[in-house]
Amino acid sequence: MSAPVVEAPAVALEVRGLTGPADGPPSIHDIDLSVPRRASHLVLGPIHAGKSMVMRHIVGLEKARSGTVSIRDQHGERQSFDAASVSDAVLRRMRTMIGVVFEGSALLNRLTVVENIELPLLEHTDATADQARETARRLLSEVGLDGMNDELAVAQLSRLDRRRVALARALALRPSVVLLDEPTLGLDSHSAAELDDTIVRTQEAGGFAVLIFSNEVRHAFGRAGHIYVMEHGRVVAQGDLDALMRSDQGLVHRLLHRRARQQR
Amino acid sequence: MGVPRDVIDSAGIDPDDDPEGLAVTATSHLAPLPGRTTRFLDAAPGGRFISRGRLTARAMYWLAWLIFSKRSSVSTGVQREMQALGVGALRLTFSASILVGLIIVFQVSYQLAPYSAQVFSAKAVGWFTAREMGPLVAALLVVARSSAAIAGELASMSASAELDALRAMGLDPVKYLVAPKLAALLISLPALTVLTDMLIIAGGWVGSTFFLGFSSAFFFEQFRDSLELRDIVIGLGKSVLFSVVIAVIPSDEGLSVSRHVSAIGQAATRAVVFSLIGVLGADTVVNAVFYFIPGLV
Repeated sequence: MSAPVVEAPAVALEVRGLTGPADGPPSIHDIDLSVPRRASHLVLGPIHAGKSMVMRHIVGLEKARSGTVSIRDQHGERQSFDAASVSDAVLRRMRTMIGVVFEGSALLNRLTVVENIELPLLEHTDATADQARETARRLLSEVGLDGMNDELAVAQLSRLDRRRVALARALALRPSVVLLDEPTLGLDSHSAAELDDTIVRTQEAGGFAVLIFSNEVRHAFGRAGHIYVMEHGRVVAQGDLDALMRSDQGLVHRLLHRRARQQR
Repeated sequence: MGVPRDVIDSAGIDPDDDPEGLAVTATSHLAPLPGRTTRFLDAAPGGRFISRGRLTARAMYWLAWLIFSKRSSVSTGVQREMQALGVGALRLTFSASILVGLIIVFQVSYQLAPYSAQVFSAKAVGWFTAREMGPLVAALLVVARSSAAIAGELASMSASAELDALRAMGLDPVKYLVAPKLAALLISLPALTVLTDMLIIAGGWVGSTFFLGFSSAFFFEQFRDSLELRDIVIGLGKSVLFSVVIAVIPSDEGLSVSRHVSAIGQAATRAVVFSLIGVLGADTVVNAVFYFIPGLV
């Protein structure tokens, strides 16, 4: 009797040996990440651990010294690039497969909310102005902001709503991977919970992989399937929450057990 | 490519005072252009003048795209920039130009008084305005009004990761932020120059008839003699050159800024200073060309 075939879920995002940036002393070293489709992983670490730099390298905002990044899209097609020497065309294609939510939402203040979401649609698809507007409105209702006034400016939104709009913009091109840098930083606990729910809901609908970069330990006790703990530019520990709770590693112990104690 | 030392020094930034190591380098805003033909533009090393040259080349590339693109001027941002840079400057242009006209007439007649030649002051208003004062005054007014705002906005967008967000979506910030400004100025500044010409002449007429006591008819006769179509064309040519200077230099300062809180203000100041120098320098070069090359005047 043969063992049942268990298919490992397809890996949507894979990072191997990422070291960078190329100019000056490298701030991240030998980063390996692997995020399957529909999974939500977490990169946890204190400020200046290099989490944001890892995200910037994945999207090509920084040129790496070495390493590869691969994305597998919804159809199973894989696109990878050498982070040290990537061509413009490949980088452009990769960027359409990755959605990024920056820390503080990074919406364009000079545009209205709807125009912000239309921007990637107008650039990368051949949608007309009306089609783009309709898609933008649909994306807004997916993140829980239906019926929003078209003329609404970014500055008029609450912090939570701005993050939701940033998420809607990241989802505009139906990415295979969504990266979120400190998504709930600065939000009160109620808004943070709402945003977490929104992220989960959109992920279930869209089937993409989620990678959250955060210094907030509470994310480790949430839905993260696999946690990478970073310190001084390296991944010092990784595993799911149970494995890490049993770990002796100094930083992991400090982060998780202090938090677990606080929760009791 | 790291930040060139002279750029760091001249901006007054301590390179060690950047613990996160996230300073936007002077040339990093120029992410690779799509297409192999333009790759050579990115090959040159950094440095302030080369940075401006590269930005100009890239802005021209996207300007060509804008001209042939089927997208409306609203969605590309050109209309917004024309409103901000062109239409917004009308009030300032109106008042300043009439005053400049008055000044010209007074000063010229003062200079001509020892020779009892005040009658010729109207002649000066004609070609001098069209060739020199019109384009220069219009350009300097736009610099005074807008260059700090352009640099400041781009610098604060850099600080709030908006430029990073654009790049991460596969959009070139030059395409969406600099080329529309260039297009808007190429349309608005020559129009403003023509307006400035007319208003300076109007100011000259006021000065000549109401304060110097010459008749209107006399003023227009003198003025008509002194102005040729050639002068107007040269003046408009200068305004096209000034448009490029005013679009590129403040944008370059705003984009090449490091993540310091004071950097935004510094970028705005540098934008005004270097735009003024740029406009005056371009004007001098054009004047020298026309003066020294025989037959061109």
